[in-house]
Amino acid sequence: MTGRSSVVFVQLAIILFTLAVWQWAYDLRPYAKWLIPDFLDPYFISKPSEIWTQLLRLSCLTSFDGTWIFGKEDGTLACLAADDNNLFAATLVTLKNTLWGFAIGVSSGYVVGLLLGRSPFLSSVFEPFLIAFNSIPRIALVPLVVMMFGIGDTSKIVTAWLLVFFLVFFNTFEGARQVDRSLLSMARLLQAKEWQVTTKIIIPSTLTWVFASLTPSISFALIGVIVGEFIGARQGLGRIMMEAQARGQSSVMMATVIVLMIIGVTLALGVKALQSYLLRWQDEAR
Amino acid sequence: MSSMSPNPASLPTSGPAASKPTRISTRNLSKVFGTEDNQVVAVEDVDLDIREGEFVSLLGPSGCGKSTLLNMIAGLIPSSSGTISLDGEELEADHFSPKLGYIFQRDTTVPWRSVKKNIGFGLELAGVDSKTYNRKVRDAIAQARLTGFENAFPAMLSGGMRQRVSLMRTLVMEPEILLMDEPFGALDAHTKIDMHRLLLDIWERQHQTVVFVTHDLAEALTLSDRIILLSSRPGRVKEVFEVGFERPRDAVTLRETDEYSRLFSHIWHSLGEEMNTVGSQ
Repeated sequence: MTGRSSVVFVQLAIILFTLAVWQWAYDLRPYAKWLIPDFLDPYFISKPSEIWTQLLRLSCLTSFDGTWIFGKEDGTLACLAADDNNLFAATLVTLKNTLWGFAIGVSSGYVVGLLLGRSPFLSSVFEPFLIAFNSIPRIALVPLVVMMFGIGDTSKIVTAWLLVFFLVFFNTFEGARQVDRSLLSMARLLQAKEWQVTTKIIIPSTLTWVFASLTPSISFALIGVIVGEFIGARQGLGRIMMEAQARGQSSVMMATVIVLMIIGVTLALGVKALQSYLLRWQDEAR
Repeated sequence: MSSMSPNPASLPTSGPAASKPTRISTRNLSKVFGTEDNQVVAVEDVDLDIREGEFVSLLGPSGCGKSTLLNMIAGLIPSSSGTISLDGEELEADHFSPKLGYIFQRDTTVPWRSVKKNIGFGLELAGVDSKTYNRKVRDAIAQARLTGFENAFPAMLSGGMRQRVSLMRTLVMEPEILLMDEPFGALDAHTKIDMHRLLLDIWERQHQTVVFVTHDLAEALTLSDRIILLSSRPGRVKEVFEVGFERPRDAVTLRETDEYSRLFSHIWHSLGEEMNTVGSQ
């Protein structure tokens, strides 16, 4: 057995063991109370089988009694139309706001970071304010943001922006200060005009710092949107979770968490692929 | 020590360069680093005259201020006193003359640019048309034996290859005067000789005026027409040696000749005195 396949084997074993414990361990509680802790109660953590059933139901593939309605008259389409925050609509809303918050956060953080990083005057003026603002736990501002911007999309984008902006800002700021001085001299000696020094040395060199912060930024954006949806929203996966919590439906919450996990992994992989393409010149292993 | 001599020690008195016009000259050039009460004199009262087409080395022990001297000529750092002129016109710091090409000691290839785009960087900045750009870059790549690496990024290259890229990036701009700050200092002995061959080859064809900073006597002897020996800190002109070896030179066989050995030991003695001064401080 090669190293790689034994890794996969152990990984599969861990997944199966976890699923099995999750599904059946609580059933053994009458026989071994000391072994099975309270939190394994399906009331809290649901069960894989229930979560699966719930996922099918939330996706409008089955009806509430579990019968398959996909492709039937008054089936999936009618079911989706009946709820404007169905799983697909909610996913789209959450995804859309995440990407907007990410895009606006990254670009604004970059521009401000670049300006302050390259201007000693601006950085001396604003640095203390930014540090003070950054030390506020940003999540604490979410209720205010929702109050200010309402329960629509704007408040979610603003929340995501709050988290992403500072991450990218501090990275860019640091990068802009650490532009290799000999590259700047080199360009000037080759008769570069100041705007060329900016576009051909400073911007590409700080971009490498920003690319490195893209993966955490997309995760932060998703966190921001979900928290925003917890506080107040009409649509989104966070809204589905809050409703399910109110009803004590742990299986719905778990199903939503699984959808979020899939979104998170997809976004992170996408950004990672983009990042390694943009930073391909850093690859020394060839 | 400060004297405004009409015929500074550094002027060539014989050889083919003696009749050529002076390109670069410095008078009473000094550089003092540090604060009011903690001053370090790096360069003191240096008078230099570099003639058209001359290959001049500034040789001296580490820390003698030879790089500082070169960087003042390049305009990278301001002088504390004295003057620098290029073709009779006084130069100012922070103003980089297009007549000057500069090669750094450390690697200054742009990491996110391919070999081709690194070499073409200056041409791109100048906005030359793509036909000229492609021709010049292609020729430079062939000359530096970088064919096949056009699209490689610097991180994939050896130190010697990276320095060839830097050299070519400066040379494609066809500077009349080349200022080189220990450009091969970080390379191993073999690669260094390779670079000497390449540089001599290019110089034989184009005869740029070169000011070459080094602490390596063998390197200075191999390449130069004239060696200006600087004293240990503060850097002053200590002695000037004419290097009359026949050209074109071969970087390897030159070292096997008697006249090379004689001049080597002669200068080595002088250089050794300066090394000892550094050691005793």
